[in-house]
Amino acid sequence: MILSVLSSLALVSGLMVVRAKNPVHSVLFPIPVFRNISGLLLLLGLDFFAMIFPVVHIGAIAVSFLFVVMMFHIQIAEIHEEVLRYLPVSGIIGLIFWWEMFFILDNESIPLLPTQRNTTSLRYMVYARKVRSWTNLETLGNLLYTYYSVRFLVPSLILLVAMIGAIVLTMHRTTKVKRHDVFGRNAIDSRRTIMRGVTDLLKESSLILMS
Amino acid sequence: MSEFAPTCIYLVISPLVTLIPHSVPFPFASNSLTYPEKLSSYECGFDPFGDARRRFDIRFYLVSILFIIPDPEVTFSFPWAVPLNKIDPFGSWSTMAFLLILTIGSLYEWKRGASDRE
Repeated sequence: MILSVLSSLALVSGLMVVRAKNPVHSVLFPIPVFRNISGLLLLLGLDFFAMIFPVVHIGAIAVSFLFVVMMFHIQIAEIHEEVLRYLPVSGIIGLIFWWEMFFILDNESIPLLPTQRNTTSLRYMVYARKVRSWTNLETLGNLLYTYYSVRFLVPSLILLVAMIGAIVLTMHRTTKVKRHDVFGRNAIDSRRTIMRGVTDLLKESSLILMS
Repeated sequence: MSEFAPTCIYLVISPLVTLIPHSVPFPFASNSLTYPEKLSSYECGFDPFGDARRRFDIRFYLVSILFIIPDPEVTFSFPWAVPLNKIDPFGSWSTMAFLLILTIGSLYEWKRGASDRE
């Protein structure tokens, strides 16, 4: 029951991403999608991914999309609702999509229609899990850093490229920040600066008096 | 899975805590005194000259990107911290290599001044 609630809410939210009139709403609707998918992952027993999903997908991806939409100067213009004009091509593409979905859907483990559950499918029990069950984090960490370490280091390079690319693309020369020259700061003799202020004042006042 | 029961209770109570104070004023507010002209912006009686928005500064986007990049760094550190007795020092050193590569990016950001305020 929870599965059907979560998945139907995810589907409705996904549909509203496409159908929302306001583009900001259209970017905010993936948030219920991600939350519901996180709930589905919890039902599958993947608790780590269920917790990381909102952090990564909502906190990073949806926020990025939101910034992109904010940067375009979009007013809520009137939308020419001409569905019928695009119906032939979009109908064909939609039919292709559904046809491909049927390759996945209609087999024994994912029944399409609610049939009777046949009792011949075996359910096996993993007894090792009952002795000492490994958490999701533990199984992931056991393999990711040792056996798949190359695949683990490749995302670091991608993230490095992304970081440098973002800074190169968005920083212009005009962002001039006042910086401290550290070595010069340490080399200043304080007596000279204090006395220099006083002597400058004396010099100026003497110049004014003499002229 | 039964260890998520407190999380489910939390997920029920926290929307209630926000939604109940949010929706309490609505029965008591009078909506008949506001009409669209009253709610629009006032520009000395003239029609609005243009949109009230300014150009979006891209440095805000850079702030969010500079959060997003260390976010998978921390996410990858979470499964590393648990099975430390099973991954030999090889696992630790591969994580150190990962962190070193991202430190190079962080160093570039520091010297370039990408996260300085003006």
